[in-house]
Amino acid sequence: MRSNVLINRRTCLRGFGVSLALPLLETMGWADTLKGKVAKLPVRLGFMYMPHGVIMDQFWPTTPDDFLKSPPPALQSLRPILDQCLLMKGISGVPIDPFQGAPHALELSTWLTAQLPDADTRDRINIAVSADQIAANYIGAMTSLPSLELATMPQTHKENQAGLNEGYYSHCSFRSPTQALPAETNPRTVLNRLFGKSNLSGHLSQVDPLDRKMLDLVIDGAKDLRRKLPQSDQHKLDEYLDSIRAVERRIAAIEYRQKEAALEKAGVASSKRNASDSPPIEIKIPDGDKRSEYMQVMCDLNVLAFQTDTTRVSTYIGSTPNGVSYPELGFDDQHHSQTHHNKDKEKIRKVAAITKFNIDQFAYMVNKMANLREGDGSLLDNCIMMWGSGLEDGNKHARENLPFIIAGKGGGSINTGRFLPNTKGNQGDLLSTLLACVGIPLERPLGIATKQISEMKANA
Amino acid sequence: MTLKPKRRSRLRFNGLKVIAALLIFSGPPASAEHKDLETLKKETEEIFNEKVAPFVKSYCGDCHGQRRQRGGINFLPALDSPGKPMSSRLWKKALANVSAHDMPPEDADQPSENERQQFLSWIGQLKYLSPKDPGPFVIRRLTKMEYGNTLHDLLGVDPSVASELPDEVPGEGYLNSLSPMQSEQYLEIANEILSQTLTPNGKPPTVAQQHLFGEAPKPGDDARASARKVAISFARQAYRRPASDAEIGVLIRVFDLATENQLTYPDALRLMLKAILVSPQFVFITPATEASNESGIVPLDDYQLASRLSYFLWATMPDSELSKLADQGKLHEPTILKDQVARMLTDKRARALFDGFGAQWLAVGEIKTKTFDPRKFPLITPGMRQAMYDEARLFFEDSVRQNHSVVRLIESDSTFLNGTLAKLYGMEKAVTGPEMRQVKLTNPNRGGILGMPGVLATTSFPNRTSPVKRGVWVLEQILGEHIPPPPANVPLLEDQDQKDISNLTLRERNELHQVNATCANCHKILDPIGFGLENFDAIGRWREKDDAGGAIDPSGQLPSGETFSSPKELKTIIAARKDDLARNLTRKLLAYALCRQLEGYDEIVVDQLMEPIAKDGYRLQTLITQVITSYPFLNRRIK
Repeated sequence: MRSNVLINRRTCLRGFGVSLALPLLETMGWADTLKGKVAKLPVRLGFMYMPHGVIMDQFWPTTPDDFLKSPPPALQSLRPILDQCLLMKGISGVPIDPFQGAPHALELSTWLTAQLPDADTRDRINIAVSADQIAANYIGAMTSLPSLELATMPQTHKENQAGLNEGYYSHCSFRSPTQALPAETNPRTVLNRLFGKSNLSGHLSQVDPLDRKMLDLVIDGAKDLRRKLPQSDQHKLDEYLDSIRAVERRIAAIEYRQKEAALEKAGVASSKRNASDSPPIEIKIPDGDKRSEYMQVMCDLNVLAFQTDTTRVSTYIGSTPNGVSYPELGFDDQHHSQTHHNKDKEKIRKVAAITKFNIDQFAYMVNKMANLREGDGSLLDNCIMMWGSGLEDGNKHARENLPFIIAGKGGGSINTGRFLPNTKGNQGDLLSTLLACVGIPLERPLGIATKQISEMKANA
Repeated sequence: MTLKPKRRSRLRFNGLKVIAALLIFSGPPASAEHKDLETLKKETEEIFNEKVAPFVKSYCGDCHGQRRQRGGINFLPALDSPGKPMSSRLWKKALANVSAHDMPPEDADQPSENERQQFLSWIGQLKYLSPKDPGPFVIRRLTKMEYGNTLHDLLGVDPSVASELPDEVPGEGYLNSLSPMQSEQYLEIANEILSQTLTPNGKPPTVAQQHLFGEAPKPGDDARASARKVAISFARQAYRRPASDAEIGVLIRVFDLATENQLTYPDALRLMLKAILVSPQFVFITPATEASNESGIVPLDDYQLASRLSYFLWATMPDSELSKLADQGKLHEPTILKDQVARMLTDKRARALFDGFGAQWLAVGEIKTKTFDPRKFPLITPGMRQAMYDEARLFFEDSVRQNHSVVRLIESDSTFLNGTLAKLYGMEKAVTGPEMRQVKLTNPNRGGILGMPGVLATTSFPNRTSPVKRGVWVLEQILGEHIPPPPANVPLLEDQDQKDISNLTLRERNELHQVNATCANCHKILDPIGFGLENFDAIGRWREKDDAGGAIDPSGQLPSGETFSSPKELKTIIAARKDDLARNLTRKLLAYALCRQLEGYDEIVVDQLMEPIAKDGYRLQTLITQVITSYPFLNRRIK
């Protein structure tokens, strides 16, 4: 395990059940940093998604040399930081054979799980813990929020494909195999909740100091109910208790932060920030309903959450596979209907425009990260940001060469500035490699993974 | 590898047969009503052992057995326990593939056509093997809407206190899941509403506060005993059942925690109330008692039943009458339960049945966020979207309240309009002002959900109509049929060579579906229905000419032979399929009430419900009452 992980893994592996004690922040390295010890800067892991694949010849560089010199149209907005990006062609998706009728329902839900849902219980959620939540289980305990889930559209799409639970359509994060995590779509809510910019009397930054102890009693008091319930109900109850436990930890973190602010006021240097670090970015919530502005504020929130070390794991479902249109691009056609282009030039143009639009928003985010100082480098230096899609090409639902962009050096763990045109591996291999780069040892391969993709890594 | 595309095209070509087969076998055999289930089960078992199992072993076993599991499919577990839900899914899949001649593959031994047909009919009967079972059951979290409404009923706060929670799908497909962020929101909302409801220290208490807290203990009184009273009374409402002694004990510990920290009596109660509001007993619907039973199946206790009923019809907690009946242990008695359903359906809270179920069923919920081409449809304003939604809601509510037959949902001579919406009907002179009101219709093409702008608009593209989408919508949402999705590599209409088709009308272009063999089988069913509604444009206005100026031809013929020449005649044909309409609505409502997909034994349940529903002329209140008094609604599996 990497040295920046100062916590016993067992303590923060939050299993289900009421047996696990609240991990105290003081035991997790915070106290050490307060005493002036220097901990290595944390690595953050972020994912951003677009459905339906890309127009291949506008996305992949022609040769490894061209990658930096004349990048393809889709990647233009990443130009300033291409040397901090990595592209690999040849990563295949999860074969969806038993669910042939469900190409779109499984795009997003297999994206971070690299695994198919359980076929026998397909009408319920039963898949696997997703890569972001595996990360949240390890490194999430060290921040006040284990992970951040964002989305552009509400996750309420109803379309039954191959008898699968409709939640598969619009969810990518799974905290347990049966617990799909809802994502936040309202930037104001996220801002209020994460950074306490709220006037609401109920906001957590103004909570009763006794709340933490009260929640502890509530969790403890659920034992009696738990004992009376059948096993499947117990499991459901545990999911809830587990999430209350996370709230307890949030309160503890807020108390800690307040304590620290008081110390700073009294002239004691802050433990978590260096004087040379950029100040936290400003968030401006747009008034209109322009998609690009909306997505950019969601990206800003992600940047701010990482910059302030409020969380180290994020997912942003930039767009979902359901009747989404992009009026801002000058046409009302729905994304999905254009992706079945059958080589029609106009449709290809529109899909390319939609793809570029989505990558532009990602580029907005990572460019911003690259310009924020942190330690001896930039914020992006300590991040791994992955943009991608669950299909290679929406026209034929191909899943052979999934488009992925990795931005950030992951604290020096990733060798960037390259295009690897003949990568051999699958989605599970890719995710396993990323988790390893963040410093998370896996007990077993993730989904369909069989190995790590060593050529991605620095010093490989 | 060369085999693959060929086989795919076969599947498409035979799509029609798949649909036909699913239609035929979704209903009970004609004799089912007269045989009891035990007999049917025995017969089915015999047929299974003597016919189905040998068929599967000889034609499917080589590729889908223990040794080889092509496509991830293995029939062995299903042969061992053919009646289990997971097996029935496999049988349905086999039905579709064998019916389509897609299986067994060309290079394998083929059954005779007779054998094939028999196999298909046996599979339709396999549901009788399902053991009596109320289906999977897991304690359920309140949805966003239910949570807001419950807080309103409990403390009188505005239900919009829940508005920041993430949107979610209620009913079938409900995820019953949450993130840590959401738990945090629960705590914040609890803080927020308690500060709305309770006055700060030292100020005189609000009425709600007096009601909640009762008499404050006088100096020298036992404050703990008073707190216990408050806990028992508030937890009874918030948990929707009496709290156990242990649960009250926990709340008293919270009270003690507060007093140990020098909080005043009202503040200590406040912390206790907050504990109740973030407790799983409030956020989830939980049973009152521990259930144990050899068979693993128990009836819902009366408290759980009151909650299930109340959240189904009202999307809120049980009211005092339901709670009283639960306290008396009488709610499950059939006549009392039926009376309660009748009472609840005429209560104004029953609008929740539309907001939760109806809007999703008819897909009109989407109207609020759907994209329209603003240049083409400047009439689409927030007010218009709201009016479209309200029309469907008021019509649905009225049909239920007046206890009409399901047929009325399709054929009706009245609807609900305001001045805004009347513009789409060309009735803006007769109907003015913002109030929605019931309006008599003179155009028989209008009336019923198929002539409703909300429905016609959500089944269109942003800039034009989609006969295919409308056809699929009618077949799937209204008649309950299954349409296989289009194959991935077939171009949509717009993808066809623009030069060749630029002179054709939309209808002529769509008819290309029927020239192309790969598309014809399904589109033969879909397109006529969609074209029958072409007189309604993409926002539901009446028109005689299409966008290109060509005259609209709304006539058509269904595969079953009926012909029609106007939306009115099309509606009449659909309205005549009463049993299909009612069966579909019953299935959808049951799935919504149970918050899960139907499976196995549920199919038998639906068959059984159809009999009294048909006898009573397919009336909506009867249909809803049958769902509520059905076996899976009243029971739960605990193993």
